[in-house]
Amino acid sequence: MALSGYHLDFPLSIVLPHSLITPKKFLMSSSTHHISTDKTLLTVAGALFCLTLLTAGVHYLELPQPWSILAAMFIAVVKAGLVALFFMGLYWDKRFNMMLLITSLAFLALLGGYTLLDTLTRVHIIPGF
Amino acid sequence: MANHSTATSHADFVQHHFVTADQQFDSAKLGMWVFLVTEILFFGGLFTAYTVLRMTHPDLFAEASTELDTLWGTVNTLVLIGSSLTVAMAIKSAQLNQTKNIAINLGITIVLAFIFLMIKYFNWMHHFSLGIYPGTAYSFTGIDDPHASIFFSLYYLMTGLHGIHVVVGIGVMTWLLVKSLKGQFHSEYYTPLEIGGLYWHLVDIIWIFLYPLFYLIH
Amino acid sequence: MDTAESNPNLKKVQVQRYKPEEDPENHYLNAEKGIWSWLTTLDHKRIGILYLISITFFFFVGGLMALMIRTELWTPTKTFIQAHTYNELFTLHGSIMIFLFLVPSVPAALGNFILPVQLGAKDVAFPRLNLLSYYLYITGAGIVIWAILSGGVDTGWTFYTPYSIQTSTAVTIMTFGVFVIGFSSILTGVNFITTIHKMRAPGMTWGKISLFTWSLYATSIMQILATPVLAITLALVAMERIMHVGIFDPALGGDPLLYEHMFWFYSHPAVYIMIVPGFGVVSEVITTFSKKHIFGYWAIALSSLAISLISFLVWGHHMFVSGQSAMASMVFSFLTFLVGIPTGIKMFNWAATLYKGSIKLESPLLYIFGFFFLFLVGGITGIVLASIALDVHLHDTYYVVAHFHFVMVGGMVMAFLAGLHYWWPKITGKMYNEKLARFTCVMIFIGFNVTFLPQFIMGAQGMPRRYFNYIEQFQPFHQVSTIGAYILGLGFFTVFLYLVKSLFTGEKAPANPWGSRGLEFQVPSPVPAHNFDHIPVIVHGPYDYHKPMEEFQLGLAEFGNGHGETVDPDIKTGSKEIKAE
Repeated sequence: MALSGYHLDFPLSIVLPHSLITPKKFLMSSSTHHISTDKTLLTVAGALFCLTLLTAGVHYLELPQPWSILAAMFIAVVKAGLVALFFMGLYWDKRFNMMLLITSLAFLALLGGYTLLDTLTRVHIIPGF
Repeated sequence: MANHSTATSHADFVQHHFVTADQQFDSAKLGMWVFLVTEILFFGGLFTAYTVLRMTHPDLFAEASTELDTLWGTVNTLVLIGSSLTVAMAIKSAQLNQTKNIAINLGITIVLAFIFLMIKYFNWMHHFSLGIYPGTAYSFTGIDDPHASIFFSLYYLMTGLHGIHVVVGIGVMTWLLVKSLKGQFHSEYYTPLEIGGLYWHLVDIIWIFLYPLFYLIH
Repeated sequence: MDTAESNPNLKKVQVQRYKPEEDPENHYLNAEKGIWSWLTTLDHKRIGILYLISITFFFFVGGLMALMIRTELWTPTKTFIQAHTYNELFTLHGSIMIFLFLVPSVPAALGNFILPVQLGAKDVAFPRLNLLSYYLYITGAGIVIWAILSGGVDTGWTFYTPYSIQTSTAVTIMTFGVFVIGFSSILTGVNFITTIHKMRAPGMTWGKISLFTWSLYATSIMQILATPVLAITLALVAMERIMHVGIFDPALGGDPLLYEHMFWFYSHPAVYIMIVPGFGVVSEVITTFSKKHIFGYWAIALSSLAISLISFLVWGHHMFVSGQSAMASMVFSFLTFLVGIPTGIKMFNWAATLYKGSIKLESPLLYIFGFFFLFLVGGITGIVLASIALDVHLHDTYYVVAHFHFVMVGGMVMAFLAGLHYWWPKITGKMYNEKLARFTCVMIFIGFNVTFLPQFIMGAQGMPRRYFNYIEQFQPFHQVSTIGAYILGLGFFTVFLYLVKSLFTGEKAPANPWGSRGLEFQVPSPVPAHNFDHIPVIVHGPYDYHKPMEEFQLGLAEFGNGHGETVDPDIKTGSKEIKAE
């Protein structure tokens, strides 16, 4: 079949890996998309509730620094991790999307860490300023 | 004439430049995750400012934090977590073709988001009444530190920016609600729900960090 | 050798050669008519053209400001401009050139057009987002113009606190404008990353994408990681001006250096955002005009990614004299030496590509040769500035000004012009006047050197930058520099003239005027409305000049009426079998 504007030449065949050929199916196959169960979602939500109450409780314990901030941040990271993995679906998703999240956090750490490298190593010529 | 040969879809939700619905869905998710990366870095600048200022004013931060109401901060955290749950439920409903439940879950999400904003509003109003304003308008005398306003300026900036994102999120959820009421989401197509949900979860995650950093300092 | 029978992961498909039509009747420029079709287009090619027109306009606005600055500096005291106006001129020259011209130039104007075609796709992943990105650029540009009309800005493009907080000029409006433009940049990055990951034609593995694509990928990574930090930093400056929040004000407990850290966290990667797409253009032009496979494909591809990473580790080299701690300065200095290495790798690989190639000295390659010399000088003087001890003396002098103009103009603008000439036939379907192009390239090269070489010398002798007045001993340098600026300006304007003229009187361009193996040259000039009317199948990389041209023009063979019926590609054994590597 000749398409307008194109000159068809000799036929030839190529051997290509399956994954690089456009698949036949044109409807979204639900089997490739993970469906979370009610149980999973409610369990995760429950865990998040508990962790929130836990972190509030730890606050009232008035731990000395740096334990106080470390505990709070640790719990926050666990909570954020639960949201990212199970609510946002990273647990079942393509690895690349998780890599994006981790990369953004790494660069954020770079911004903060490097800035602190300066801020915390300054020699204060005028004390207390 | 454009090519409509093997494997192009006639499903009307697949856009012309995509070959399959799966490619479109995966692209939308990837694109949204890339955007979330930018949001993380955007808020991240403020988190960096917070870190630097807290390290140089540790006692001020501890004292000023007591002015914030831990109870309502905790309630707000639970409210947002609840709204994340309902968004995830809405997506699950779409995947299972439970069309009515999509709208119900989205509706609850919106209500919870409004509750969050209301609590925030009352918090802020309370602080204003004490003279705790950002910047040079600060006139509260309860904290004995010449730089006291810096904690609250950061507080207003960060919770304010977060609040703007909640408002945008409400807009997005409302738009999704309207579409779901029109029956546009089903197991074969729920891409906007998925990516709207991703945005909402990030808003939740940011609050998960704001909460201990402002309300739980000791 | 694996055949389709022996390896179940491989599949045999029937392909045919699709030779590009010469002088096509229907293409993207006449697919739809009327200005409304342009303003509401979702076609990445038209959006690329819209960007091209806009950045050209702002290039000349910024260029005019440059000429005014250089003219003012003809004499050591006031020549014809007030001091305050002078401050505004250099601020706006910098801001416009960086945010409204350089950052979008290759990615948004050339990249938007060429990237999908090079990938074998019909469009970018998110065409509507692409159009939004353009309108955000225009909105931001409009806000910047509003800032200019509201009294301008005099802080320098760097908006350092505390002056940017205290000055009465239109800083708030300006930062808002840049904020909006930043989002345009971010959306382009989102689009490109998704397109490169998801929209490649069958057979196009990561090892077969063009180096231009790799450079756009590396640029997009930097764009999405760095630009949001600029956005929040400028928003904070606006908040400081409006509410005096004090984050950057020591009197209120803040830290002015925090501003600089946050600003340069973006602005250093920004300079790589500006140059890396240019590196991509260099790879394309060098291979085409030496008819040779690129030397070290993976070295160049991965060095672009290395630059993406390392560019985030060096920003403090802008802050050596700001009060930054000695410890941080030393770390930043050391890492800055490192960032030159990936670029050095590229330079050597490009030179090796040229070696024993079949060189055709056409204008795109001539611009690249100009790039080679000018960027080399610029890059090496960057390493000079990376040494803390030298930088203490050279910081805020004309040495820095010369350095960054060498890399940004001598490097990036030359590369941009090379790319513009290289892809001009593909974009417009017309050929420009080659003789005039070569002449103008030399004029630009000469004008550039006359403008900026003296600046290295006077900078090393202590001439400060951003100064309206100067001492007598520097006048000869300034005057030579000003003369050069006019030659340079004339050169740029000439390019504009002959390129526009070619639209009307240029001869029709063939599909592949340069004999390139790139996929974009296997479609007609100008490009068809949907890029490809078949699904291209990629067998070779874009630099395999030893393979015959027909093998770059393959696509899935058509069956059925082509209108949406699902059909299996027929698995027949043809007369020839190629194993895709």
